[in-house]
Order: sequence, then C-alpha cells, then structure tokens
Amino acid sequence: MSKERRNLLLNIMGILVLFVILYLFNEYGTDYQIRILNNMAVFITLAVSYNLVNGICGILHLGPNAFITIGAYTSALLTMSAAEKQMTYIIVPLVWPLNVLHTPFVVSLLLGGLMAAVFAFAISFPVFRVRGDYLAIVTLGFGEVIRVLANALQGVTNGPLGLKGLVPYTNLWWSWGVAVLTIIAITKLINSSYGRAMKSIREDEIAARAMGIDPFKHLLMAFLISAFFCGVAGGLLAHLITTISPTLFTFFLTFNLLIIIVVGGLGSTTGAVIGAALFAWGGEALRIVERPTDLGFLKIPGIPGMRMVIFSIILMLVIIFARRGIMGRSEFSWDWLLSKLGWKEKGF
Amino acid sequence: MTGTILFQQLINGISLGSLYGLVAIGYTMVYGILRLINFAHGDLLMFAAYTAIYLIGIFTLPWQISFPLAMVITGLMGIVLDRCAYRPLRDAPRISLLISAIGASFLLENLAIVIIGGIPKGFPRPPMFDHVITILGVRVQVLTLYTPVITIVLLLGLLYIVYRTKVGKAMRAASKDFEATRLMGINLDRVIAITFFLGSFLAAAGGIMWAMKYPQVNPFMGVFPGLKAFIAAVLGGIGNIVGAVIGGFLLGLGEIMIVAFFPEVSQYKDAFAFVILILVLLFRPTGIMGEPMIDKT
Amino acid sequence: MGDFFQLNDLVMQFGGLTAVKDFSIELQAGELVGLIGPNGAGKTTVFNMITGFLTPTSGQVRWQGEEITGFPVHKVTAQGIARTFQNIRLFTDLTVLENVMISFHQRIRTFFWEAMLGFPTYRREEKRIRESAMAFLQELGLAHLAKEKAGGLAYGQQRRLEIARALATRPKLLLLDEPAAGMNPQETNELAVLVRELRDKYALTIFLIEHDMKFVMGLCERIKVLDYGITIAEGTPAEIQSNQAVIKAYLGEPK
Repeated sequence: MSKERRNLLLNIMGILVLFVILYLFNEYGTDYQIRILNNMAVFITLAVSYNLVNGICGILHLGPNAFITIGAYTSALLTMSAAEKQMTYIIVPLVWPLNVLHTPFVVSLLLGGLMAAVFAFAISFPVFRVRGDYLAIVTLGFGEVIRVLANALQGVTNGPLGLKGLVPYTNLWWSWGVAVLTIIAITKLINSSYGRAMKSIREDEIAARAMGIDPFKHLLMAFLISAFFCGVAGGLLAHLITTISPTLFTFFLTFNLLIIIVVGGLGSTTGAVIGAALFAWGGEALRIVERPTDLGFLKIPGIPGMRMVIFSIILMLVIIFARRGIMGRSEFSWDWLLSKLGWKEKGF
Repeated sequence: MTGTILFQQLINGISLGSLYGLVAIGYTMVYGILRLINFAHGDLLMFAAYTAIYLIGIFTLPWQISFPLAMVITGLMGIVLDRCAYRPLRDAPRISLLISAIGASFLLENLAIVIIGGIPKGFPRPPMFDHVITILGVRVQVLTLYTPVITIVLLLGLLYIVYRTKVGKAMRAASKDFEATRLMGINLDRVIAITFFLGSFLAAAGGIMWAMKYPQVNPFMGVFPGLKAFIAAVLGGIGNIVGAVIGGFLLGLGEIMIVAFFPEVSQYKDAFAFVILILVLLFRPTGIMGEPMIDKT
Repeated sequence: MGDFFQLNDLVMQFGGLTAVKDFSIELQAGELVGLIGPNGAGKTTVFNMITGFLTPTSGQVRWQGEEITGFPVHKVTAQGIARTFQNIRLFTDLTVLENVMISFHQRIRTFFWEAMLGFPTYRREEKRIRESAMAFLQELGLAHLAKEKAGGLAYGQQRRLEIARALATRPKLLLLDEPAAGMNPQETNELAVLVRELRDKYALTIFLIEHDMKFVMGLCERIKVLDYGITIAEGTPAEIQSNQAVIKAYLGEPK
C-alpha cells in the first residue's frame, strides 16, 4: 500500500472516529457540551477560511465579520416562512422578493455563502489596490459599513430589532459536516498550485509577479473563497443561536478570529483548527472570571470585560514573544504522527 | 435651507473637523516614521477623558490644571504604549506590528470596562465653555469656537517643534529614511518615543474637547473618532501634518454638511467616512497633500 | 534586421531626477549581451522597465514585433521574458522544489475548484508540474536539495535557484541581474559555463548586468555601458576595454 493510500485511509478513519464521538455527545452529552461543540465547529470553519487570506496570502483582512453578517442574514431570510417574516417586519415590511422566497436549509447556506462572495467581489477592487495597513483599514471599514447597513436597511434586515425565532436547524451534523468539508477543500487548495501561488505572494510579491503570478487574481480568489465559507458559517451561526441582530457581528468577532489564527499559527490550517477549538472551549471556561467574585478586599463585578482583557493580553504576548503561535506554518500529517509513535515505514 | 442654518452647520463642521484633525496628527506622525496604523491611538481620547474626570473629581484639581496634566499623562501613556506594544516588534513583519496594535486597542478598551465599568460617565464641562454668544444671528456655544482656535494654536506649536528644533529634524529624517537615520547614529527609539508623546498629547486635547462636546465618556468613545481621524490623515496625505489637519476639517465639514443637506441619509452617517476612504484610495491614494509613492523594487 | 527585441529611447524620470535617458538597444535571437556601468548608473532601472515593474516616462519596449511597454509584470513574463534579481528574492519559506513549481503556475490548465475537489485532472497536472520542476533542478545541480527550505541554501545555490526558477517560466529572453555577485572566482567560472550551456540548450537570448569584468568580457558577445543613465559606449568586449569614456567612468577623471 502506498503512503498516499495509507493516509487517505487514515483520514477516512479519523473522520469516522470524529463522527462516532459526535454521535455519542449527541445522544448522551449535556446541552452545554453540545453548544460548545457546535460553537467549536463554526469557529473552525471561520478560522480555517480566514487563515486562507491572512495566513496563506499574508495580507491583513479585517472584515470577515461583514461576510458572516451577509451569510447569516441571507440564510435566515431564506429559511423563515412568509408568515414569520410578515410578523417580524412590523416597522418596515420586507422587500420583494425576499418576503416570499423560502428555501431548504442547505440551499440557504449555499446562497448565504454565494451572497458573501458577491459582496467580496464588489469591494475587491478598492481593497486590492492597496496593501498592508491600508488594506486592513479598508476591510475594517467595510465591516463597519455592513453593520451600518444592517441597522439602517430596515426593509431588508429589520434594522436593530434583528431576526428572531429562527428554526434551530444547526446541529452537530451540520456544523461539523461543514467544518470537515471546509478543512478538506481549503487544505486541498492550499496544497495545490493555486495555494503555492498565494504563498509566493506572501513570501515576496515582487518575485511572484516576475514568475508570472497575477497577484490580484490570486488574492481575489482567496478572498472570495474565504468569504464564501464565512458566509456559510454565518448561516450556521444564525440557525444555531436563532436570533440575529447587527450587534452580533461587530469587529469583536473579527478580533476573536484574529486571536484564533495568531495563537494557532498564522498560515497553518492545523493551527487554525487547534486555535478555534481552544477558543470555543477556553472562552466558555473563562466565563468564571466574569462572574461576580468577592475576594474580601476586592470585589470583581461580573462584567463582560475581563475575558476580553485576557484575550487581548494573550494576543499581544503571542505576537510579541511567540510569533509563530502553536503550529508556526507547519501542518499535522500522519507521517509525522506515525513516526512519533515509532511506526516503521516498512510495517505497511 | 436658510443662510443662518448653513452658517450654523459650517461652524459645527469646522469644530468637529478640528477635533478629527487633532487626532489625525498623531496617526500621521506615527505612520510617517513606523509605517504603522496605531490602532490604539483613538483609545487615547478615552484615556485622556477619564484621566481628566479623575483629576477633577478625585484630586479636586481645577480644570486649568487638570486638562493640561491629563494631556501630559496621556502623552506619557503614548510612550508606554510604544514601549510595550511596538518597540519589541521593530524588526518583526509588519503584520505582527498591526496585530499588536489591534490587541493594544482592545486591551485599553476592556481594561477601562474592568476598572471603570461600561456605564457612561458625565464629563464636568467647565462653565466658561458653556457660555453662548450670538454671531450673525446664530447662537453658538463658545466651546464650538474655541475648538478650532485651540487646534490651530497646537498645530503651530507642533510645526515649530518639527521644523525648528533638533528633535524635529530627527523626526523628519526618520520618516524620510528610517534605516539611514539609524545608521547616522540618531537614537531612533528616543525620536519615536517623542513622536508618540506629541501625537498622544494632541489626541488628549482632542479627547478632552470631544468629551466636553459630547459629555458622555465611555470605554469605546475613542473608536469612531479614532477611525475617522485616521481616514482624515489618509485624506490629507499620510505623513503630512498640515495635510492631516486639512483632511480633518474636510471630513468634519463633509459629515455635517451631508446630514444637513440630506437628512434622510443621517442613519448612514458613520459609513460616510469609509466611503470617502475608499474613494481616496481608488483615485488618489496619496491624499491631497501627499507625495506620489514610488514603487520600491 | 529582425524584430526580436528592441528598446527605443527609454527614459525614466523619478520626480526631477532622470535615472535613464534615451536608452536604445536591439537584441537578436540567441545573442548574449552585457550591460555594465558604475553603481547607480541605472542598469537595474532598465531591467525594471523591460519587465513592467516601472513604466517608462517615454520610449518603447518592443517584443517580437509588438509593443509591450507598461504591460503588467506577470504579462511580460507570460510573453517569454524572465528575470533574476540583484538582491536574491527567493520564496524563502517554501521548499526549493516549490520555488520552481511556482513558475509553472502561469500556464496551469485546471481550475481552482478542480484542485479543491481533488479532481484527477488536477492531480495529473500537479504530477506533471512536479516532474518538470525536478528536471530543472537536476539541470542546475539542485535536485538533492529539493525538499530544503530555499532560505536555508548557501549563497551560490540561491543564485542558481533563482536562475532555475526563471528558466522554469520558459522564457525566450532571460535577464540576469548581477548573477555572479558575491561568488568566488571558481563559482564565477562555473556560472559562465552554465550560462552558455543554458543559452544553447534552451535557445535563449541573454541580457545580463554584471560588475565582474572578467566574467562579462569572457562571456558576452556585445556590451553596452551606462553611466548616470546615459549610454557612453557600445561594442565588442575588446572595443569596450580600450574605450576612453568607459575607462574614465570607471576610474574617474585623471587629476
């Protein structure tokens, strides 16, 4: 058996094991555990696709929250029934044709992703005309513009009231199914000639151009693919928490994703997965610090600031003292794991 | 629209614009030398406003002492920021520096929530700024008139430092060619620290005036003024101090005027600055006063 | 005269400074031509104008009968003009093999979604690219380093890898910017032999910038000399060596 076939087999087995574990949690786990697992899967999808732009192409894109918003609203509007929409949009009625469109969940997810990619394409020209800090601020600005629009365009988004009572379609199968597909698709892309072209732009854009790589085309490609998956994840998120409003998708969300990929290691999909898993778990565990605590001499009130303080400090410590994060730019591979386990190549 | 209202809006626009300009100077100076958007710069507005509140409230200092003192403390805070978040990354990839800046910004905001709490605090505006006078039939709060005057005075002071002193010369050299300046034996860390001090000092002036204008101080009060001031700096041509102030005036006037002429778009007000940014980057990425950028090969 | 490659009166101004003035040259297919001159004479600027990194203030770049002045860099490369860089610019964090494989990307026939979905069409193409890239490494004696990070190579190997990478874009015209810089005499001699071999094997036309006079004089059939952006001499190596203007430019005015 060749190494390739062995790894394929191990991948399939790994995925099967994952889904057996998910099945066990689905049957016997607490709601709390299932919520964390769902969050974990959505964050994995988001982080892996965000890393494609920031880690692989090496540009600092600060607007994934915009694409998550677009995906979430698109998907939510497509799964709500016409009657629900009529009841929800009490101030300004929902515009045609959104008020009558109704699609199955899976279609709504795909269209949410596509819509996010369409918006990404629309802003790509100003975005990729610049690099570095400018690109960061333009994408950040786009995130803000989308938030302003989500508040203002009441006939589409229902404004600050948001959308409530979405059907909780997102379960462990959906969230993890999408996460696994995202990881596979993006890993294949990164390891392909297209992925190499993206990395060459990160390493040295001038040399990449001289070797015949069109930076705009490849950055755009990464940007659109990333936006698509962020949009899909947005749809999952909407049907996980069942209530969405513009306040949900602020720059905080982008900041969280940035922490995940920096801690995991910018440029490593494995790192993004590990970072997202740690974040989903650690974020919950850290809620302790936000409960009111009385140390006798010092009363720490239960305010939602301490977790962010800790996250900010972690981000700065990692970026200053351990820039490579957990994984650097390395990826998990079976070859590595087997050799660590003392597996002999000839054994197969 | 009557001439009176137009005149009123003009004054408001200039007043708001001068605040953007003050804050934009800090962005433009730091960007000029480090090629870094100091994301935490906007949060220094918040820092200055709280510092002033505490100096007046707890130490019961009169505002004539509290305000300048708060500005100096904020200036020192700028130095601390550079020392902790940026100096360790001088030779790191640019993306790391920017991520550190974003981290520093979130840290300041959330530390403020943890220490002070998220509930907005009132700002003790000194009575002399409340006075209302009538010019050409328009009733104007004197604060609105003082703001641009203070901005111009501070700008002139800064220009004196930058163009007439030794340290200013070093700053200009560093923004022209960082490496060469380092090789010439100039202590760059010191130059950068002074740059941060001056930028933060001016941001503090902006923050205090902002807090007097909108007397609700909260941990996130600096975010939007900060982003808009950065856009003003880009509009004026990044790296150019006078350009930053002009960009600030233009942005402030534009924001006020657009709402005045088209009240129906007022809910999109916060998106206006970003649209301007995108237009500038599309059609004149160097800004109004900027030199053309040469693509370095 | 053929219309293989021509530069007509290229001028490059930066602000008030003229970096290159009225630069003209015509290259015949298969020629090996050198461009020399003191530091800051504008040699690399000429290369940057040819490859599209700089758009000339005025003048024309003509390639196989067509004007390509101001083409985007990647399109110039697609036309069959490749270059190396004076200050080596490898993709340091990628492997030696990946560095060369990137040069094949411009001709890729499968789409990105075929790669993402793991289609056999893509897998075959990837295999073909890998094998062709290995062949170029073999050619330049770097095959044994294929899996090393490019940034970890010795200096001379990095220079060779740059050439391999440029060759892999399948150029007709190869521009070498100081290929012998930093090499010892032994390596320089080997490089001269290699350049000639590659020219013959791949039917290349080579235009190179170099400071090492022995290298240029021994290798090039024709030499052009720039000083302060102005062409001061042109001719065979023997002619250049005895040209008074050239000697003056290099040694300065006798006092």
